[in-house]
Amino acid sequence: MNVEWILDHLDDLGYRLVQHIWLAGIAVVVGFVISFTLAILAIRRRSTYGPIIAVSDILYAIPSVAVFVALISVTGISVTTVEVPLVMYTFLIFVRNIVAGFDSVPAEVLEAADGMGYTRWRRLWQVEFPLAVPLIIAGLRLASVSTIALVTVTGILGDSFGGLGYFIFTGYHIGFPTETFFGAIPSILLAVGADVIYVRIQRRATPWAAAARGRLA
Amino acid sequence: MSLLNQALAWLSDPAHWQGSVGIPNRLFEHVLLAGASLAIATLIGLSIGVWIGHTGRHTTIAINSANFGRALPSLAAIAIAQPFTVAIDPDLGFAVYPTIIGMIVLAVPPILVNAYAGVAGVDRDLVEAGRGMGMRERQLLTSVELPLAVPVIAAGMRSAAVQIIATSTLGAIFGFGGLGRYVIDGYARQDNGQIWGGVILVAGLAIATELAFVLLQRRLTPRGLRLQQPRSGAEPEPERELAAA
Amino acid sequence: MRQTRMLALGASVLALISACTTGGGGASPSTGTTVAPPTSASQPSGTPAGQPSGTPGGQKPTVKVGSDGFYEAKLMAEIYAQALENGGYTVERTGIGIGTRSVSAAALDSNQINLKPEYIGSGLGFYAKTDPKCAVASPAASASAAAAPAPAGCTPTGDATANSAALQALLASKGITVLTYSPAVDTNAFVVRQDTATQYSLAKMSDTTAVQDKIKWGLATDCATNALCGAPGGALQSAYGITQKTIDGAKPLSACDQPMVDALKAKTIDLGELCSTQPDIAKNSWVLLADDKSTQPADNLAPLVRDDLLAQVDKTSFEKILNDASAKMDTATLTKLNAQITFDKKDIPVVATQWLKDSGLVK
Repeated sequence: MNVEWILDHLDDLGYRLVQHIWLAGIAVVVGFVISFTLAILAIRRRSTYGPIIAVSDILYAIPSVAVFVALISVTGISVTTVEVPLVMYTFLIFVRNIVAGFDSVPAEVLEAADGMGYTRWRRLWQVEFPLAVPLIIAGLRLASVSTIALVTVTGILGDSFGGLGYFIFTGYHIGFPTETFFGAIPSILLAVGADVIYVRIQRRATPWAAAARGRLA
Repeated sequence: MSLLNQALAWLSDPAHWQGSVGIPNRLFEHVLLAGASLAIATLIGLSIGVWIGHTGRHTTIAINSANFGRALPSLAAIAIAQPFTVAIDPDLGFAVYPTIIGMIVLAVPPILVNAYAGVAGVDRDLVEAGRGMGMRERQLLTSVELPLAVPVIAAGMRSAAVQIIATSTLGAIFGFGGLGRYVIDGYARQDNGQIWGGVILVAGLAIATELAFVLLQRRLTPRGLRLQQPRSGAEPEPERELAAA
Repeated sequence: MRQTRMLALGASVLALISACTTGGGGASPSTGTTVAPPTSASQPSGTPAGQPSGTPGGQKPTVKVGSDGFYEAKLMAEIYAQALENGGYTVERTGIGIGTRSVSAAALDSNQINLKPEYIGSGLGFYAKTDPKCAVASPAASASAAAAPAPAGCTPTGDATANSAALQALLASKGITVLTYSPAVDTNAFVVRQDTATQYSLAKMSDTTAVQDKIKWGLATDCATNALCGAPGGALQSAYGITQKTIDGAKPLSACDQPMVDALKAKTIDLGELCSTQPDIAKNSWVLLADDKSTQPADNLAPLVRDDLLAQVDKTSFEKILNDASAKMDTATLTKLNAQITFDKKDIPVVATQWLKDSGLVK
């Protein structure tokens, strides 16, 4: 392990780390917005749920490497080529979890809201959504972590992308394990760190579940 | 010529079905190595998960390491394993061993977590009834807890299998064989037919695997439980519930 | 089963969509906006700040530099990039290291990049493969010497000037200009270890034909489609009688990169396809098998530039910057710089800057 090289390249690490978070962040946000819309559609019209999930399932099965390299011939070397697949892979996770979240609202609560005179929209936003939050956050957690992992793969597109994956690919090309680890270990820390943060957020967002958590722990 | 046509043209070329780089051989490579990894991962995940679920000890450590394994970026896992495996065996250790390690590392968490949740989630009354009937611990495990946990465990294995297929495609970047090679080699040669032919093959394999496990799940579920399952066909998803915990 | 029905429905939807998309290269790509993290988009470390030199006004267009993935290509691209920056141009490096020649050529074609370093011999072979003018000389031509003569300018030879002219002729219709080629040459090198050479008495490529099944081959990932390597009718197959089976069975590794070297060192391969400027050959006292059938052409380096970029700049001064850099590079220096990258693990931009300064091309 070449410590001198590591110390020399800490600013590069910073650059790539920022790039990594940036690329992942865009995908998660855009993916969430699109998925949320799809999910609401799926909830309002149950018949669309099956097809939406089925298409997402198939897209999910396509190996990520393939989508990245295949898109180059269509959208060139650009952020689009990177983000489209990343966003696409979040659909399955988000839609499933968002719908499950809304589904988890007990029927009695819905009836109570109706009984209190809530309109459908008010009920959706003021009653169902807050109760759906735990599963939605669980979806955000899964999607964020897997997106962080996928960003490393974008390193196959060349030097301008890849986030921390850039070091993994370059280290491999030059036969330089120090550099490979320089990229691999921070990417793991980033993914695990994000996971831990989401767990905390989950706990904060669902104080009423704390008692149940006590039982499960 | 649209991408789909190019892919179909590539797939229908008989030359691509022969030889060591032909589709049947690559498919065999892929299934063999993926299967081996799944077997090893099941051995590890199942034994640990069932034991934790049955005894109720060390749950936090297990769940946390499972979370860690789930968050682990696959490419990083393969890349980290490589220098070590190369030192052991420069030939296979270059691409095959690190990819297998990556596959195992990523497949264990879903199996472990589901095994734990499945066994721990068995109705305690049933377990007590078993004890009351004089069953010993091992009997309890094999006659009561495991059969009831099967749907959940199978769901975990299904998740693991899909993960394995995805990871093996990544391994192709480093030279791992299998169907992922068509994508990587096709990219090197800018042969769209090969890239998308490879995509169809891998996606097809992933979907076929998932369907196979769905079938397996149904088969292994004791009839009593199958009758109980909600009509919507929703499968138990303990991962999500645990994730919310 | 509901699930299968849904999956089938989803599959048919996707199939319909993909059947309607026209794929393939050249479809109008979005203009490559670089990734925009808060920090600058150019390569970190070693990049001199792109200060315009002196003359205000006169918008200089952005040069989009690209290259193949192996470190020597990236080095040359970086050298050109820095030389241009020193001359007051803004340079985008998004395309550096994007893949094999197929990928970078496609990028140049579609204006994703407008400048890339190329090797005139191999480049000629590559473009000739898909050029309609050269269709007669396609790999379908038989291996015998009395094959139909290739149209002039489709086969790379040992004559650098001829290669360069021929390459330019092919690229003219694509709107790409080949600038003056450099004395630096880097060609395919088939290399074995000393022990293998001794064991099988290998000194030239023809010696390998008889023992090809006994040794383990390592070839570039795009070898099977490269006429100068393993393509049907190409160098290995027609000139040296290497069978398709051998080529398919070879270990595929990235060309001109470390993994091939490591494999050869570790004996997981006995014969590797390296690049003649890889310093590892000399360092390990490996044997570079002589190309006795002269299949490898004069492969001098030269920058390829898109005409539409040249139209937007002061052609003379622009070309001078690049030609000056090419002229100062030679094979020995290239090998030395490669050693700095692969042995000393120095950063490519740093090596480029140092060389540009040492050659007096940049202050």
